[in-house]
Amino acid sequence: MRVVFLDSSKVEHLRNAINNDAEFKLAARYMSEDILLEVNDSRCIVKVRDSVVTEIKLDPPSEDHWSFSIKATADSWDKLLQSSPPPFYTGLNAGMIRGNLQIIGNMEVAFAYLWAMNRMLDIMKQLQNK
Amino acid sequence: MKLETITGKYGNITVHGVEYRIYFEENGKGIPLLCQHTAGGDGRQWRHLMNDEEVTSKYRVIAVDLPYHGKSLPPESVEWWKEEYKLTKRFFIDFLVEFSHTLGLDRPVFIGCSMGGHMALDLALECPDEFRAVIGLESAEFTPGLDIIWFNHPRISGEFRFANLFESTAPSSPEKYRREVGWVYSQSAPPVFRGDLHYYSVEHNLTGQLERIDTSRIAVYLLCGEYDFASTPEMCRQAASKIKGAKYTEMKGLGHFPVVENYRLCKTYLMPILEEITKIH
Repeated sequence: MRVVFLDSSKVEHLRNAINNDAEFKLAARYMSEDILLEVNDSRCIVKVRDSVVTEIKLDPPSEDHWSFSIKATADSWDKLLQSSPPPFYTGLNAGMIRGNLQIIGNMEVAFAYLWAMNRMLDIMKQLQNK
Repeated sequence: MKLETITGKYGNITVHGVEYRIYFEENGKGIPLLCQHTAGGDGRQWRHLMNDEEVTSKYRVIAVDLPYHGKSLPPESVEWWKEEYKLTKRFFIDFLVEFSHTLGLDRPVFIGCSMGGHMALDLALECPDEFRAVIGLESAEFTPGLDIIWFNHPRISGEFRFANLFESTAPSSPEKYRREVGWVYSQSAPPVFRGDLHYYSVEHNLTGQLERIDTSRIAVYLLCGEYDFASTPEMCRQAASKIKGAKYTEMKGLGHFPVVENYRLCKTYLMPILEEITKIH
């Protein structure tokens, strides 16, 4: 099954769900960043401006800039997006420490917004498993 | 108001020539059970255990906030703002032994989680006559690589700890308690969590030493949550396998904070051990 953030028929729904989430609004306060999400060779960029996801850009050109990327195999994303994920896939840091995903780029920004990113992951899970 | 039977006290204790004003809570009567909080945490993590009458009817449960943690302030005689906070193994051991002596405890049972779980092994190795048993939750022989700069960085707030430690719980644990784990973590002073990780991830290294623990002098019980990604069940099981006579249990459906995130489930693993200790020690 295609991950929700790479599915052109679902990304707008995902964007709205994130923007309507009370916890994400809190966790992403003052956030204006571009985040690259990678599944094997497929990619998208989640653009956040002033705590609002303004665009989920599929297949962005390689010259597009981003603050940090979250990269994992399709198998790892599948586990991360399960409604009740298995051990070592309970969040981005868990996955990173156990080598199941990589966070690359500006780590200061990535960790400052770990709460927001994990909340975004939770919302993705909800839509992925609907 | 519905009062709990837990009582809190302040005391002054001298360790390595420095006096510390410390806070501790206790409840119950019986065998002393000394509870050690996690890195960057405090004694509130033991509130469910301390309020459990099945435990407090047999045990005098005591949870202390280490200096710099919870309600235990930094010492008045040290210019702590001029030096980086780091918890050392020597201080940690000596503090706990001195605390036990100060209260006049008779060979208490020690239970600790995370860095407290690591300390269970250090105590078993170094002071087997001070304690009758140790119960290590999320223990391991060595957990290198987790003393990372982002846990004490001027540009990263306590929200990082809040999110990070929430992830360390099992997804099936009640959300209100998973959030409580994060809440307590977000409250410690900025340098404390990373300073504690100096012990957890650097100084606690029992490689090649676990075999020397003598369980005829001190009983050793190790337990690890299925979802613990810091000290994994496999790491804990391996540690136990190197200690002749140690008992290991994997706790299904629990993470790195079993007594906080889902005490009801944790109790099903813990109670048989507490019952066993009352019978054989």
